[in-house]
Amino acid sequence: MALIEVKNLKKVYQEGETQTTALNGVSFNVEAGDFVAIMGPSGSGKSTLMHVLGLLDEPTEGSYTIADKNVNKYSKEEIAHMRNEEIGFIFQSFNLLPRTSVLENVKLPLVYSGIEEKLWNNLALDAIKSVGMLHRIEHEPSELSGGEKQRVAIARALVNDPKIIFADEPTGNLDSKSGEMIMSIIHNLSEKEGKTIFLVTHETYTAEYARRIIKLLDGKIESDKKVEHRHNSTDKFIK
Amino acid sequence: MHIKYSFKIASTGLKTNKSRSLLTILGIVIGITAIILIMSLGQGAENLILDQIQGMGSDMVVIRPGREPSGPSDIGATLFSDSLKSADIKALKRKENVPHLKSIAAAVIVPGSVAYKGETYSPTIFGWDAEFLQGIFNVFPEEGTIFNQVDIDTKASVAVIGAKVKEELFGFNNAIGENIRIKNRSFRVVGVYEEKGQVAFTNIDDLVVIPYTSAQDYLLGIDHYHEVMLMVDGPDNVEVTITDVERTLREAHDIDDPDKDDFFVVSSQAALDQISTILGALTIFLTSVVAISLVVGGVGVMNIMLVSVTERTREIGLRKAVGATEKDIENQFLFEAVMLTGLGGIIGIIFGAVLSIVVSMLVKKFAGFDFSFSFPVFGAILAIGVSTGVGLLFGIYPAKQAAKKNPIEALRYE
Repeated sequence: MALIEVKNLKKVYQEGETQTTALNGVSFNVEAGDFVAIMGPSGSGKSTLMHVLGLLDEPTEGSYTIADKNVNKYSKEEIAHMRNEEIGFIFQSFNLLPRTSVLENVKLPLVYSGIEEKLWNNLALDAIKSVGMLHRIEHEPSELSGGEKQRVAIARALVNDPKIIFADEPTGNLDSKSGEMIMSIIHNLSEKEGKTIFLVTHETYTAEYARRIIKLLDGKIESDKKVEHRHNSTDKFIK
Repeated sequence: MHIKYSFKIASTGLKTNKSRSLLTILGIVIGITAIILIMSLGQGAENLILDQIQGMGSDMVVIRPGREPSGPSDIGATLFSDSLKSADIKALKRKENVPHLKSIAAAVIVPGSVAYKGETYSPTIFGWDAEFLQGIFNVFPEEGTIFNQVDIDTKASVAVIGAKVKEELFGFNNAIGENIRIKNRSFRVVGVYEEKGQVAFTNIDDLVVIPYTSAQDYLLGIDHYHEVMLMVDGPDNVEVTITDVERTLREAHDIDDPDKDDFFVVSSQAALDQISTILGALTIFLTSVVAISLVVGGVGVMNIMLVSVTERTREIGLRKAVGATEKDIENQFLFEAVMLTGLGGIIGIIFGAVLSIVVSMLVKKFAGFDFSFSFPVFGAILAIGVSTGVGLLFGIYPAKQAAKKNPIEALRYE
């Protein structure tokens, strides 16, 4: 059984009179530990797909099974708990809480978990250590560079030890040097930690860190191929 | 989600917008301050009035001429104001008429001033019975003595004066045996009262008491009384005595219909009840007026919470993305609103208490009343309850709005 099974997924947005079909029958399976890049031009439905897969949005039609759980059958509250336990998000614009220290930002998912409060500090520190940001734990986001912010965001995504990581254009707002560092961290999450990773990007070079690239066009899968020449964490990052 | 953490998020939120938070809760602060002030001063006023009336004793019955005024503009009430005369006292004194009567005294009020060797002073001048006064007010002469029934019967020209009157007219000199003039008539000072202050709304220190017969004859030229007071032999007999007095006077005045009474009887107990009722009603009325300001304050809080929800749309989206449920988000904003208004409540209680202390001190100093500050514990509990209630009531809508936000749109929100 694959970790993720998507069957005939459709998403239609209704705005007044006009209907927009963002996903028009998408089906694929992803095994645990796979690293999938989702590509496509803007409007192709890649963001919508990620939102549906990340349980931030509900599909209009079709079924989505994650770790044997058919998400259609769960309540909003259970979905929120699944997001908390199974999924970590990395966003293009970092989305760190302003005026809140690095440590507190990383703790955020723990707040909504069932984990005892006395364990929060150590779990957060472990996650911060894994992205090499221990020297900045008391700093606020406004005092960090873009690359550092994204590393904190990755620590936050990891703190609950989720099975699946969603990265939405994680290098989109970064210079190439920072981007390289972020991609190397994400690569290691796949190789060393065995996380299942979804990476949304429009840059071919970035996508080639993945094992598999799914290309979308007009809400449908245009191609779904293995990557022949993968980059690894030591590769130079070219934008 | 943990209470401690909710508290932390809410206080961070409030601290981030310090001046905005303070301005928002201003309405609540003012409302709660006013509630505490009203309740505290109302309690103080009630205590003061009860104290004054109790100073008169609960076994006192007062008869006034005319009929009980139904309001301030009731001119008819002054009719028959000469209805109480010496024959009435004689009738009331008869054991078979009013069996529970302990003592009785008539009183007249003399407008005017007193003079001594070029010094003039305007005290309260009563034609009264000095022994009766001593009995009900428990006030004794510091120097000299008081006049007695013989002085009343013989219409003696004697006076007992209060401590302040003595000081104004005589300074540190001896007053006993000296003659003071009231309306060009000489009265010999036989006694000076000890300093006593306010008792039953009468400032004893500012009093000149002369025999009521003398006052009627020499100063006023009338043969009726302004007031007749009688002491009952026990508080339990007040009710029956009032009935006895009414019956006796109706008989003496040939009145068949109680509606045509040319006198009315009040007891200190009845006055007490009446004043408590009026003050209670007044407090409730004022408090409900103030409650309007709390509603206005609550709307202010709701408004600012809605602004805050919009401002923090991204934060809400992020929290949802990392696993916050709708309930978590709702609770977070509700907690913040309650903290805001609760804080307003606490500040209001402190302001209200401080203002009440200041006001009671001013009243004590300038009006001479023994007005004591009493912290309205019930009011404070009510204030905390009301202010957090306002937070809950007006916070629920913005909190629901926050909880309903779609995480994707929230994350995209710029």
